Amino acid sequence: MITITDLSKTYGKKDNPFTALQNISLEIRSGSTVSIIGKSGSGKSTLMHIMSGLDRPTSGTVTIDDTDLFSMKQRAMDDFRANQMSFIFQSFFIEANQTCYQNVMLPLEIAKVPLTKRKQLVKDALEAVELSDKSGNLAGNLSGGQKQRLAIARAIVNKPSILFADEPTGNLDSATGDKIMNLLFELNRSLKCTLVIVTHDTELAARCQTQIRLKDGSVESISDKKVRHA
Amino acid sequence: MRSLDLIRRSGRSLLSAKTRTVLTVFAIGVGAFALTLTLGASNGAQEYADTIIKDNFDPTALIISSDGALFGSSDDSKPQAYNPNFGSITAPSGATRQIKLLSDSDIGRLKQVPGVASVNPAIALSLQYLTRDGQKKYEATATAYDDYSAPSLLAGRIPTNVPSDSVILPEGFVHALGFNSPEDAIGKTIRVSVSKQFDQASVLSSLLSGEPSKAGAALKAPSNSQETALQVIAITMKPATLLQASSGLYLRLSSQDIIKLNDFTTANTNSYHKYLSASVKVKDGTNSTKLTAAQDKIKRLGYGAQSVVDTQKTITQVISVLGAIVTVFGVIAIIASVFGVVNTMYISVLQRTREIGLMKALGMHKKDINKLFLFEAGLIGLLGGVVGSALAFTAGVLLNPVISKQLSLGSVKLLDFKIGEIVMLVIVLMIIAILAGLFPARKASRLDPIQALRTE
Repeated sequence: MITITDLSKTYGKKDNPFTALQNISLEIRSGSTVSIIGKSGSGKSTLMHIMSGLDRPTSGTVTIDDTDLFSMKQRAMDDFRANQMSFIFQSFFIEANQTCYQNVMLPLEIAKVPLTKRKQLVKDALEAVELSDKSGNLAGNLSGGQKQRLAIARAIVNKPSILFADEPTGNLDSATGDKIMNLLFELNRSLKCTLVIVTHDTELAARCQTQIRLKDGSVESISDKKVRHA
Repeated sequence: MRSLDLIRRSGRSLLSAKTRTVLTVFAIGVGAFALTLTLGASNGAQEYADTIIKDNFDPTALIISSDGALFGSSDDSKPQAYNPNFGSITAPSGATRQIKLLSDSDIGRLKQVPGVASVNPAIALSLQYLTRDGQKKYEATATAYDDYSAPSLLAGRIPTNVPSDSVILPEGFVHALGFNSPEDAIGKTIRVSVSKQFDQASVLSSLLSGEPSKAGAALKAPSNSQETALQVIAITMKPATLLQASSGLYLRLSSQDIIKLNDFTTANTNSYHKYLSASVKVKDGTNSTKLTAAQDKIKRLGYGAQSVVDTQKTITQVISVLGAIVTVFGVIAIIASVFGVVNTMYISVLQRTREIGLMKALGMHKKDINKLFLFEAGLIGLLGGVVGSALAFTAGVLLNPVISKQLSLGSVKLLDFKIGEIVMLVIVLMIIAILAGLFPARKASRLDPIQALRTE
């Protein structure tokens, strides 16, 4: 469960402040799929950065399963992120000069996963995204869809409890994008990880259980399919 | 992250930017090359100097002169007044340096000094000629045989006490005197001739008093030279390391013969029984405390005394100065390459902004990111050091025979590499490279992941 209470974020100096987020409070159930939507500049990326501890709020708290994210020291927060969270980005951010295997290995090295377990975890992750046969290939030689699948494999290899996806289909054509989305929803079910998608693609957002719509740094609406259908 | 994982990632990042890595490694390699050669050359020079000293001087001996002037403690810059009791040598400055000569009474006093085993006046006697029946006459210099020198022999043998009327002949004279082989010369007789030094004072007075014929007669008198027959007992091999090339042609006689011949040539002159220097052997002189003790006692008597250690010190000092000069150039090369490392690492950080951002987002500690880049810098230093010193080592192995031949160094290697020194050099270079990586690594570790991951 991710609990966000009265979260605000202000950039700039006191005499000329820019409010990116204003008094946001919401809850995300563990294992659910959530989309954060809104126009550019609505604060959706900032919200994701704060939820994942990459950025600090000006005020308010983020609690993940009883852990107050911002009461932690930097090292503890890093370790928490290494073990609990993962990211998928619009531009993949894979290392083109390294093999698929080496790319997927990175989170395991950071999380200090024992050497004996690493190989199997990487193998499983590559298998989950159907890239087993590309294990030894250089990541740079993959197609766009394959690159994002590789990024997904890297994101799920350490079995995170929360997976953040920032415009995961933004750089892909619609057919490939659909496949990636199907894969993400499938992994959400099989790994039981919370999936938080930041997007401006309403069609994609509609597939999530919860849709959080932001406007000018405030929550405009929260629609919850389960609530609606209950 | 584990250090091993970090090192592997650093190495991979170096491999993925091959050209950049190669160029930076090369920059450090040049410095490492220069420093390795410098280390090798100063080792070699030191070893060469030690070999020369070992081959030419007895470590248990002290060279004694009447005062310190022989060893350069006089003021060479001013003309010196003439003194008939003084010998003279030409100082390196071109000025004549007056040396008070040692007399028999001095030799006697030296013999009384506790700890002194023997005292021998140092005599290098210029022979008028050296010859053998039916052969040409040759110029030669004779000196007393010193058992320390233990020359390598081609033929014959040298008894503990060289008997009178015998000679140890250097290899160079074997064929000149018409012998077929060194063995052929053993037991044969050669003749040496010495001539009287004319008495400068009497010749001068004859000339001044208007009697040039008398002066001429004094110079030409047949009794002025004397031939001595000597039996060849051994032939010495030309040594590899000589202080002076000519000393390879020294005839070695028993010290009593040398004194006898010297007395003949100096009779009725100021130099009779006067010596420029003497060699004092110290009991247990290999023990430096005893050597120094004897040296101090002799110095307190007012004589100048120098040991091989002193000579060695002087030579070592010269070598150190030369080494330091070359080292300075190596260090300058290293400093230049440090900027190369800083630049390379800085570019690496800029190019990998996103990778760093991602690693931070995935929870990599600031300290580990810092280490990642420091390891990368360290690897550049390691590679540069290994490549540079390996090239220098190879160059040394290839060049040593050529240099030794060109400079006639014999078996001495001019470039003498010590593995320990090279390892130390590589370690130092690694540390320097890591220091050079500090600033770029700090920059990387302080990167804001949100900025780094912002998609254009």
